Amino acid sequence: MYGRTRNLENNDVKPYFENMQRFGKELKDGRRRRASASMEKLKQGETHIERQKKNIEGAGFSTEQMNKRGVMTVWQRLDYLIDPGTWRPLHSLYNPLNNKTGATNVVDGLAKISGRWAVVIGFDNKVMAGAWLPGQSENILRVTNLSRRLNVPLIWLVNCSGAKLDEQEKFYADRRGAGAPFFRHAELNQLGIPVLAGIYGTNPAGGGYHGISPTILLAHKDANIAVGGVGIVSGMSPKGGFDAEMLEELVEKTREFSAKPPGRVETHYYETGFFSEIYEEETGVLDGIKQYMEAIPAYKPHFFQVAEPAEPAYPQDDLYYLLPFNQKEVYSFDDVLARLVDAGEHMEFRPEYGPEVYTGLCRIDGQLIGCIGNRSGYLGKDYPEYADYPGMGGKLYRQGLIKMNEFVTHCGRDRIPIVWFQDTSGIDVGDLAEKAELLGLGQALIYSIQQTELPMILVVLRKGTAAAHYLMGGPTANRHNAFTLGTAATEIAVMHGETAAVAMYSRRAVKEKAAGGSLDAIADKMNTLAEQYQTHSNPGYCARHGLVDEIVELSGLRNYLVAFAGAAYQNPQSICPRHQLILPRIIKG
Amino acid sequence: MTEDVLAPLSGNVWKITVEVGETIEEDDEVLIIEALKMETPIYAPCDGKVKEIHVKEGDTVEEDQPLLSIE
Repeated sequence: MYGRTRNLENNDVKPYFENMQRFGKELKDGRRRRASASMEKLKQGETHIERQKKNIEGAGFSTEQMNKRGVMTVWQRLDYLIDPGTWRPLHSLYNPLNNKTGATNVVDGLAKISGRWAVVIGFDNKVMAGAWLPGQSENILRVTNLSRRLNVPLIWLVNCSGAKLDEQEKFYADRRGAGAPFFRHAELNQLGIPVLAGIYGTNPAGGGYHGISPTILLAHKDANIAVGGVGIVSGMSPKGGFDAEMLEELVEKTREFSAKPPGRVETHYYETGFFSEIYEEETGVLDGIKQYMEAIPAYKPHFFQVAEPAEPAYPQDDLYYLLPFNQKEVYSFDDVLARLVDAGEHMEFRPEYGPEVYTGLCRIDGQLIGCIGNRSGYLGKDYPEYADYPGMGGKLYRQGLIKMNEFVTHCGRDRIPIVWFQDTSGIDVGDLAEKAELLGLGQALIYSIQQTELPMILVVLRKGTAAAHYLMGGPTANRHNAFTLGTAATEIAVMHGETAAVAMYSRRAVKEKAAGGSLDAIADKMNTLAEQYQTHSNPGYCARHGLVDEIVELSGLRNYLVAFAGAAYQNPQSICPRHQLILPRIIKG
Repeated sequence: MTEDVLAPLSGNVWKITVEVGETIEEDDEVLIIEALKMETPIYAPCDGKVKEIHVKEGDTVEEDQPLLSIE
């Protein structure tokens, strides 16, 4: 144990971070009453998403059927492996190529094992014995990227029967296809990020490379990994067709190879030595992973904590009354943020400048995090200063863009990970906006982010729209964005559906009118397009297509921030000594 | 003492969320103005009782126009 209190008393940044400014207001009964319908809609949305997740978890063979065969399911393995209460699933609904099972056949997320954060991924062995399915390689790419961004170990539960052969054309080859993860594993090893694999069952061909590409291979006694499995070995001589006589021969060979599949433990433990350890029991493999995790270097959280961890000052359930489901309703971002960060305390950066954007330092689990978010609401008749029209939060203007550029740059210098919160309708448009350099300032923000080499995450609270979705730490910040979360109110699209309908059909309407035609048909098309936008921007769609990495319950959002902060500070690639941080001093003045 | 709640921005009165005679607290939502494609809640500047509502739903209001009075 560390003498934490004594250390913090000696902490030279104590005056800055132990008593930061309280912010956010208490939830009033009137607000709770008036927002109850909105709260219901948010909860309904969350229930709907949760139901979809449960259906996917239940796909394939049941737990009972698997256990009767003497094997644990991937969920049981995860349950045994992970420190209780630390599982933060990602990509639960990810299914970009619309597989019937509703998923890409891997289960992944952030979790603690032996007290250390790791990225964990396992094949769903209940479904086609953990086969490669369309969309899976893209899912794995996100997972290996996550490990790289956060510089934390990647843990594999390998149990992969190889490619679903009747759909191989959708994923086998290509730049980001099913072979890419093996290069990503090599890249992680190159970067000094360990990949641990617990190996179960039969893993031929692609499954074999999932088995061989990690750093340490821990195998169950019945596991095998091989260049080719029974199916290939028994039928490797194409003869230009099939007949019953050939099939008799095939049956015989398959029986022979099934009894003794290639790449068994006696080969890869006793002969090649690929497997570091073998275990009699399935749980033994998981115990082995836990032991290896203990051997991986990681800072204790205390090392980077600037204050004692603290719960937010207000209940997180308040979020259901503070974040309106209605996309048009103005709300207080500060009240939302105060429910997510330690003690509801912060140090706001340039509060008087760029009022449409919040930028500030907060603590998550005692660790310093930069927070950036869109503020909602009317900005006053004199803002933006370059225009003769009033500004409305959610939109980005000159000052807000400059402020974000400054804040991101300072966070980069001070090595402070960033959490972005989006609820944005886009960047201000028109001649005045162009003269105010918004196009250039937006790209400047992209440059500023690129310069930082910081891990970041994004929470799309409601709208992620237009170029603002790109600029504000979105998934497009590919080398920085570790993951993106959505809520039951998330809506991501280039623009609102009705706006898109106007943009697409207004000229056609002018022509039709000039030709004396009816506008009804065009109106119908516009309505169809607007509806299509709604279907293609809702939380479920965003999750299925990877526009977000997970839809999370508002009451569980902070858990993900804690996981992010913990993982980002577990083994940072560079450090700013706390007494050399410049941002808190700039804020203090 | 009576205090007028003024419109902070021009727009349309989308919803009135209090009634005359209702006791309200500072920061309670009293009315929603629809402007610039957004619905902006207007909050009570003080505790008191709603004495009079000067607008009705659907009205266009200008900035600084009195919306209701609190006593």
